[in-house]
Order: sequence, then structure tokens, then C-alpha cells
Amino acid sequence: MEVAEVEAEVEKKATATRSRLIVRLAALLVSHSTLVSVVCCLAGLIALLVLPLLAKNTYISENALLPGSANPVLSYQHVTQANNLIMDIMSIADVKEAPDIEIPKLIAKYMEILGAETYHHKFSQPQNQFHPLYFFSSSPNSPPTLANLSYGTSTVGIIRAPRGDGKEAIVLVSPYNTQNAGGIDASASASSIGLAFSVFSLLSRATWLAKDIIWVASDSRFGDHTSVSAWLNDYHNPNFIGDASSNRIFKRAGTMACGIVFKVVEKERREKYEDRDVVTMYAEASNGQMPNLDLLNVVHYLAVHRQGIRVRIGMFGGLVKSHLVRVLGEVMQQVGRFARSLNPDWRFEMPSSEYVEGTATLASSIYSQALGVPTGPHGAFRDYQVDAVTLELSPRFSLKNEHTRLAFLLKGGRLIEGTVRSVNNLLEKFHQSFFLYFLTAPNKFVSVGVYMIPFAFLVAPLPIIAASLFNLTSNRNPWRWLHTAKPLLITHTWSVVVTLLPFYISKISDLPSTHCMLTWAGGSLMALVILYIVFGSPYSKHVEWRLLKAVMIASVSIGLCLMSIINFATAQIGALFVVPMCLFALPIRVKTNNSLIRSMVMTCNLVMAVLGFPVTAVALMQGVIKGFGTVSILEFWDSMKFLWGWNSATYLYLVLVHLPCWLLFLHILFHPCH
Amino acid sequence: MASDPMGSQLRRILSIFFSLSIILPLSSPSPTMHNNNWAVLVCTSRFWFNYRHMANTLSLYRTVKRLGIPDERIILMLADDMACNARNNYPAQVFNNENHQLNLYGDNVEVDYRGYEVTVENFLRVLTGRHEASVPRSKRLLSDEGSHILLYMTGHGGNEFLKFQDTEELQSHDLADAVKQMKEKNRFKELLIMVDTCQAATLFSQLQSPGVVTIGSSMKGENSYSHHLDPDVGVSVVDRFTFYTLAFFERLDMYSNASLNSLFTSYDPTLLMSTAYYRTDLYERPLNMVPVTNFFGSVMKTIPTDSAYPGFLVAHASEYATISAETETARVVLEDEADHSKTYDQSEKGLQHILDEWLKLLEGKLGVKDPEVLVAYGLGSMVLLLTISTWLSS
Repeated sequence: MEVAEVEAEVEKKATATRSRLIVRLAALLVSHSTLVSVVCCLAGLIALLVLPLLAKNTYISENALLPGSANPVLSYQHVTQANNLIMDIMSIADVKEAPDIEIPKLIAKYMEILGAETYHHKFSQPQNQFHPLYFFSSSPNSPPTLANLSYGTSTVGIIRAPRGDGKEAIVLVSPYNTQNAGGIDASASASSIGLAFSVFSLLSRATWLAKDIIWVASDSRFGDHTSVSAWLNDYHNPNFIGDASSNRIFKRAGTMACGIVFKVVEKERREKYEDRDVVTMYAEASNGQMPNLDLLNVVHYLAVHRQGIRVRIGMFGGLVKSHLVRVLGEVMQQVGRFARSLNPDWRFEMPSSEYVEGTATLASSIYSQALGVPTGPHGAFRDYQVDAVTLELSPRFSLKNEHTRLAFLLKGGRLIEGTVRSVNNLLEKFHQSFFLYFLTAPNKFVSVGVYMIPFAFLVAPLPIIAASLFNLTSNRNPWRWLHTAKPLLITHTWSVVVTLLPFYISKISDLPSTHCMLTWAGGSLMALVILYIVFGSPYSKHVEWRLLKAVMIASVSIGLCLMSIINFATAQIGALFVVPMCLFALPIRVKTNNSLIRSMVMTCNLVMAVLGFPVTAVALMQGVIKGFGTVSILEFWDSMKFLWGWNSATYLYLVLVHLPCWLLFLHILFHPCH
Repeated sequence: MASDPMGSQLRRILSIFFSLSIILPLSSPSPTMHNNNWAVLVCTSRFWFNYRHMANTLSLYRTVKRLGIPDERIILMLADDMACNARNNYPAQVFNNENHQLNLYGDNVEVDYRGYEVTVENFLRVLTGRHEASVPRSKRLLSDEGSHILLYMTGHGGNEFLKFQDTEELQSHDLADAVKQMKEKNRFKELLIMVDTCQAATLFSQLQSPGVVTIGSSMKGENSYSHHLDPDVGVSVVDRFTFYTLAFFERLDMYSNASLNSLFTSYDPTLLMSTAYYRTDLYERPLNMVPVTNFFGSVMKTIPTDSAYPGFLVAHASEYATISAETETARVVLEDEADHSKTYDQSEKGLQHILDEWLKLLEGKLGVKDPEVLVAYGLGSMVLLLTISTWLSS
């Protein structure tokens, strides 16, 4: 009997230890939560700083693209024709009364000479409405109504591929502002129409087209994006009801394989001297979506290796001059050299200047994605899952000289011709290369597998800390967290109210933005007070600050992980603000033994309480990027309006995740500690 | 039952006789003459950027046709989506050189398996001859035990496989199995497999059937590269291995004597950027005695057979008449080939050899030229022995 009992006990122990291995590992992590969180956060920060070193050179993954394998055939003949068009546009802009009617007519006439199918697309300016939840839907713009007196006219020409199946199309977009026809950069603006025309006239005679070519000479009087977006909306959502009466012609080609937006921009002479023509690529679309990397690769390859054009992408110039980044670059160089001396196979040594430029470019790439606002008209294409890129071509010499203009048109035209021919070779949608990436140079990228590491390191300690705090509380009831769920619920209800308030404020017309801002702030405060009056104070007896902190961390980690799926870059930048708030939160009245540590933590807490406030956080971000002179806190309303105008999910993140986190942080800070 | 010495001796004689009767029919047929040529040309890839593979295959097609293999003896398998591809700058034309001198897609290109018909299944069916009843004769490889077959394949391959149109792959085992089946079914006398893909040599690793000689464009771990790019068409138009093969054949006509060895040693690894690998361990004849036209051309001999109608009998002396007098002098190598096969037979050793000798002896003793009489005698003696054996066992 006794022996059997002992055996049973031993067995029970054995099974217990076996089944609890993972539990014991978790317990080990939780018991060393402070160490784990410090190590993880440091690792996350270091991984973030090392990202420029881990960038890989881009390469063309899709075999079918074959960029640059065919010789460009764009000749001086095409370019001189285009030059005639430019001259005609300029003369109309100078002489005629109504350039916004005459110029589209002129372009349509030129298109028809080439044998293209032509029509005009009229659109009006969309009302800037509050619809932040639209980022879920595919078509962000409501169909335009022509009731508005002021409308723009885009001219569209279609070349059918002579032997193609008519199922696919490549879209060329050249924005042109008819309102500013006689303006300062009128010649550059007309040149983008000329550039498009030269390519279009070549393609109208090409025997190798497999996809139809659509040229949209878009009227950019309401901004480049509006016209393209309105046209795309009409293209994809045919309106069958009013068509016959309104007598609008709208012709279509196949599904879009790719969109190429290009405009000529003449930089002012005062700017830095360039020894080459420059093309700047803009790729970021709404909510951090990017076109397939292969498209950028093709443009980069053709520009650099075929036409000898320098390629640029967005970069924060301020960071290049920053001493901190320079010192970091030196350190990275030393570390790389040291690593190489240990093992010659570890080749992540990088000159410090390259690191600085990489960091500045990477920061710009992350910021543009995190903002969730497209950087050009290509963003409208991405809303319909079409890969598109905006190319801003700036010539080395002035375009006023006819010879340099012709030479520039020839070069730029050949770049676009090569890109079109390459995309024309495609058999499927772009799918081989990356969609999730950051760029650290025009030909260097950090892929999703690498850039997720810092975020994972930053978020990993949150559940561990939450668990350890939950264990530390004096109350042993497993349902003890329910009491703290109440303040959490109140906070989140409040954040929803704050999210929706601007909808009602924006209904009141003609309010200056500072007034709107004040109304919003006042309304929010009032809502908070009302919520507390209704549901009671957050500092009830049962609410321990540790439990409150645990619940806050849990909700924040859920919010961050959700946001990382919608827009990774936002979550990445957000984690940098939120994670320290979660880890450092400590009530002012709590008593600790070590006064030095306590005072340090308190200082950090107070700094974070100020900087973590969304208004100051946004101002800080913009200050870092644009310089602090231009930033004012009252501009918050405008920047938020900008975000929801573009249906950016970043707005939702700021108000639904960041703001409640900050409020709970304040709650913990001023916890009475009964 | 007690065994008597007489009975055991008889049984031994019987067993020898029966074993002879089994072996005799196998050993008796003399090696079949090479009497016809076939070519199976396969392009296993599709899509515009694989233009060069179709150009490779069409170039080979043109070459073997020029060297005398008629269209009905060429099985051409092509995705055939290049000539009329919308991306083709020269509609309905295919070139294998940027000088555009030679349109490979001119008149008389008979594609037997087109587009999505180029599958591993159809390829193996063609080789092994297992077709559905409805498949026309023009799509079948109707070779026999006297056929020399050229099998040319090009496309994208890897270690021991060849990709068919991005959907399936042919493994080296599959190829070896098909060749083995062909051998079993006497579908060829000799087979030359020429493959232009990456790591082509690995495709031959499983082959075991005799009479097969193989050449691949690259060794294991090597890539095969395209030769040059046509800047007008915008794609690479020919692969290096095929380019230099064609360059070799352009110097030849159907009467030339160049040997397989001279073709195989003509590949320069520095020009090819890979090492052409050929496997000859399954092949009996020395390569320098085999003219390339044995595979890439057509047999010029006509073999008159006894007419079914009396009165049209052809004299035996005029057997193996050559087509023209001038070819007779040019065909030294072919004569050598015949001599070689004789010496080969004589050198064979073992039981079969002795039996052959015994058979000849028997033939001489009997003094009968007509084999039918011999068979009749044999059957008679078998009946006799059968009755004796039944009598003994009872």
C-alpha cells in the first residue's frame, strides 16, 4: 500500500515537471522581468540603429522584366514633335483667355494626330470630409459631382496594342496645372506634357506592345492627386445610371499593370549644383503601402545604368548634418571593423558617411510610411492595388534653352520608354519581389524579415512585465483585474468620443483651425469629466496601481500589434514612445528604498508625461524632421485634418491607442497608493 | 524409384538440348542494320523571356531537316508562343541571331506538340510509344530496332530534373525509365540525347540502357548561358551550347564525314562558360568512327526486300545499293562501321559463341541452306526426344 502511494507520488511529480517545462520557462522570464525588459528594449534600440547596416542591394527578381535588354528607339524626331507641343502650350498660356479649356483641346488634337482614342475627363474638387474609417475600404473617394462650378479637365488618350489581347494596360500620368500656365515653372510643367507626348508618339507606332497604353494628361489645379484619384475612381466604378443623359464619354483599356507618374521640376539655380540630371522616386502610398520593389528596381536600373541619370529618394537632410548620427556612424564603422578583424566573413563594415546617409534615408522612408499619406499621385493607384511610382525629373541645365530641353526630353523619354517596355514584358502582376520594405538608398532595401526584429524586441517585454505585475499584487483573487478593467473601459470609451468629436466640429463651417483645436480639447475634457461622474473615480479602493499598469500594458500591446498589421511603420515609431511609458510608469507617492533610482524614474516619468501627450509627440516628430522653428502646438488640428483627409490609419492609432495609453499613464502617475 | 545410369545421362542430354532451344532464338538474330533516323526536338519552356529556347529548338529543327531527316520523322514539341507573341518586334518571325539573316519560322515548320501539349506525360508517351488510339501517326515516334534517334531538349533544368513549362518537371529517373522501355520495346538501335539546360549532365546520371550516347551543355553545379541578346527584339535569342553546335553544323552538308567525336570536342569551355559533358560508357562504337550524320542526318541506304510478287525478285548482288555513285566514295566511314560490327561479333566470347559455332557446324553437316528445313528437322528431333523422355519416365 505504502509503496504504491510513493510510486504514485513520484509519477505525479514526474508528469508535473514534464508538463510544466514551458510554464517554468515563462515563470523564469517573469521572475527576471526587469532584466528581460531592459535587455529586450536595448536590443530593440540597437537593432533599429543597425538597420542601415543590414540593408541589402536590390536586385530584379522577375525574370520577365528584362530591363534594358532592348535598345531605346526614341529619337530626335519624336522629341522635336514634343517640342512643338510644348511651344504651342506656352503660346496658349501667354495669349489665350481661357487656358483651362484651350490646353486640353490642344493636347487632345495632338493625341488624335497619333491615332489615339481621346476623351476629356471632368472632375471637381472633392469635399474634405471626415471619414477616418475609410482606410478599410478600397475606394476612398466618393464619386465626384459636377454640380460644382469649378472643375478640372484631364485629357486621356488610349493606344490599343496592335496585337495585344486588350486585357491589360500601362498608365502614364503627366500632371499639368492649367491655372498656373503662365507661372514661374510653366516651361517645366509644359515639359512634362511634352515628355509624355514624345513617349506616346513613339508607342503609337511600336509593334511590340502587348498592353494598351493610357496617357492621362491630368489637370492638377486641385493638386496632383485629386485628378488622378478621380479618374481612377471613374475607371474602376462605372456609373451606369446618369451616363446616357450627361453624354460623358469614358473609355477604358484593360486592368492596369502599372502606373508611371512623371513630372518635370526645374530646381532653382540657387540650389546645390548638380553634375547630372536627377530623377527622384516617390513610392509611398496610403497607410504605408509600397509598390512592388521590382518596379523601383527597373526604374533605378534604367536610369543609372542606361541613361546615366542620378536617382534620389526622400531623405531627411537635417539628420545628415546631425552630430549625433555622425558619431553613431563612426561607432558603427569601428564596430564593423572590429567584427571583421574577428572573422573576415562578417562583412557589415560600412563607411560612416554611408551610414549617415542610409540612416537619413531610412528615417524618411519610415516616417513617410508611418504618416500613411501618399507622397504623390501614385498613391491613388495603390488604392486599387496597382503598382505605381512618381518620378520627378529635374534637368541639369535650364529648360529655356531649346537644345538642352531637347536633350533632356530625349533622356527622360528613353527612361520612360525603357520602363514601359520592361513592364510590357510582364506576364503576370508584379509579385516576385517585396511589397514590405524600407529603403535606405535608391538601390538598398531592408526587407520585412529584418525590420520586424526591432519591433519584436520592443514589444516582447510588455506581456512579461504585465504578468510579473499581476503576480506582485497583494490580492490573490484571480478575478482581481476586473476592478481595474473599469478605468480601462472608461479611458477607451473616452478615446472613441475624442476620435469622433472632429466629425461634429468639422460640420461647423468657417471655424479657424485654432478654434477647432480648442473646441476639440474642451469637448474632450468635458467628455472625460462626464464619464467620471457617471462611472465613478478611477481610484477606487480595489484598484491597485500595479494591476492598473498590468492592464494598461496588456491593452497597449494588443493595440500595437494590431497597428503593426495595418501600418507597420506607425507601430514601429509608436512603440518607441509607448513602450518606455509602459515600462517606467510609477506612482509619485509610492515608497521605495533607493531614492536615487526613484528620482531618476520620476524625472523620466515627468518627461514622458509631457512628451507622450499626442499633441506634443506629433509636434516633436515634426520638429525633428522639419526643424523646430516652424512647429506650433496649435497646428495639431491641421495635421490631424491632413491625416483623416487622406484616410490615414495613423489618426486612429494616435487617438485610439496612444491617447488612452497616455491617460492611463497619468492615472498611474497620480495614483494615491492607499 | 531407383535411378539407372542410362536414364540420368539421357536427362542431362535433354536438359542441354532444352537450354539450347531457349538460347538459340535469342542469340541467332544478327545485329540489325541502321536503316532509319528520327529526331525528337523538345523546347520545354514557354513565355516571352524564354525566346531563346524556342529559337534553339527551331534552329536544331532546321539543321536536321537540312541534313536530310524528313518532317514526318521529326517530332517537334514547342510552346510556340513566340512568333505570334504581341511582344515580338518581328511578327511571325523567329531569329537565332541578332543579324536577322535567317528566319527560323519560315515555311514548313511542322510543330507536332504545341503550347500546353508539351507536357511530361506527352513526352514520355512519345518516347515509349504508348499513345491513345486516336493520336495520329504524325504525332508518334514510329521508330524500330534499326532507328537512330536524336533527342534534343532545351529549357530550364536543375540537378537531375528538367522543368516543363513552369508546371511540372522531368526527372532523370523518368528519362532513364523511358529509355529503358524504349530499349525493351526495340524502339531504337542507337540514341543520342543532347540537352541544353543548366546542370544538363545530371539528367543522364540514371541512364543504363546500352546504345545511348549523351551530351549536355554543363556539368553539375554549372549554369548554361545565353549567347547574345538581340537589342531589337529585346531578348536573348540563342544559348551558347546550341549556338556553337549550330556553328559546327553550318560547315557541314549531308554528305560530310565529320564524326561525333569532332562535334563533342569542338565545345570550348571558355566560350561556353560551362563544360560540355558527354557520356559514352553505354555506347559501344568509338566516337571518332561515328559520323554526326548518323544522328543529325538521314540514312542514305535503301534496302530492297524480296518482293511479295514473283517476277520482281531483285538480285542479291545489288543489295545495299547506294543512292549515287559519288556518295559511295564519300561513305568510307559507314563501310568502316560495318566492318567494325563484324569484328565486334567475332570477339564475343562465352557460351553463345560456342553455340553459334556448333550451329554453323550443324548447318554445314546438314548441308542445307534453307533455315526452314533446319527448323523442320529440329522440331522432328524434339518430338522424337519427347516420346523417348515420356517412355523413360513411365
